[in-house]
Amino acid sequence: MNKKGIILGIVVISVIIGLAASVSSSPSETFDLDMTRTHGSISTAMGSPILGDPSAPITIVEFGDYQCHQCYNWFHNTKPMIVRDYIETGKANLVFVDFAFLGKDSPKASQATYCADDQEMYWEYHNSLYNSQESKIDSGWANSERLKAFAFNLDLDMELFNECLDSEKYSKRVQYNSQQARDNGVRGTPGFFIVGPNDQEQIAGAQPFSVFQRIMDSMV
Amino acid sequence: MIKIIKLVFLNLKFLFLSLIIFSSMMITLLIISEYIFLEPYFVTHIPSGSEFGFFLITVISALSALVIPMNLFRITNLKKSKQKMSGGIFGSIIGSIAGACSCGPIGFAVISIFGSVGATATAFLTNYETPLRVIAIIILMITYFTTIKSLKTECRINL
Repeated sequence: MNKKGIILGIVVISVIIGLAASVSSSPSETFDLDMTRTHGSISTAMGSPILGDPSAPITIVEFGDYQCHQCYNWFHNTKPMIVRDYIETGKANLVFVDFAFLGKDSPKASQATYCADDQEMYWEYHNSLYNSQESKIDSGWANSERLKAFAFNLDLDMELFNECLDSEKYSKRVQYNSQQARDNGVRGTPGFFIVGPNDQEQIAGAQPFSVFQRIMDSMV
Repeated sequence: MIKIIKLVFLNLKFLFLSLIIFSSMMITLLIISEYIFLEPYFVTHIPSGSEFGFFLITVISALSALVIPMNLFRITNLKKSKQKMSGGIFGSIIGSIAGACSCGPIGFAVISIFGSVGATATAFLTNYETPLRVIAIIILMITYFTTIKSLKTECRINL
């Protein structure tokens, strides 16, 4: 009887500890993701939300670093034309996958975008980072304080955002994305994969619109 | 000055060397700095805001193509010391490595191999790309003028 009591006690305590652990666990383990999402050979499950029509026949997967000035060049010189001619017309969509390798502020900037995504402001935050990029790596333009200031400017709930950023909630997500880049042979940023209905093509560097146009037109 | 340039570059060997230095440096730096892409198609472009970088690369390539053959002429024809040659090569190297790392394949390779030291070096070369290229141009120009001056004196003595 005594033994049964002890075993029962252990079981009850284990259940209570288990429940307590699940309730008090950090929110880092409870984000809503489609873990099966892939585009061509790339797992984009941990990447950005899809920009454009999810059922578009072509997906552009961009691997980028928020401190990379060539990514800045592509964002300002090529992307607007792609958005106008392919994304807004439903011919293509775009997924951004972090390849944060340039400096110590790069992973933090990537994590901040997912904190903004918690409040459904991923692309707005992504755009504000590329609009605010300064030419020097790790100069402080993307440190925690500035990342919080960008969130404040977008009217995000600062309590939620700060908690998310300070706890490094999305640290593993960014690491996973960077590993995807390496696994797929990306050797610098920006790197792109144009994934069509039947094949995929890799583009290295901030190439002009004409290159993307030629590849995507051949796929449709 | 024109006479000295003529003296060196009327020799086809040095003219050919100059053309090789200019074209190889220019093409390599333009590929590294993403003004030229070879894959998936051959394409050239100067993105908005990158015009000054293109100008600096052109000046460095042109000065290197001028200074290095002139110094080789000094060494081979006049049997002079190699001291001024190092100025030209040093300037060319600084001009070439400035901005070469950045976020492209070279920067990625440097960071992957050397870790945090590589990241610091890459950040330095990227952050100070323009000042480093300007310094390289100054070194090459100083070398150019001192070489011209030496050739004037040495040739007068030897001729």
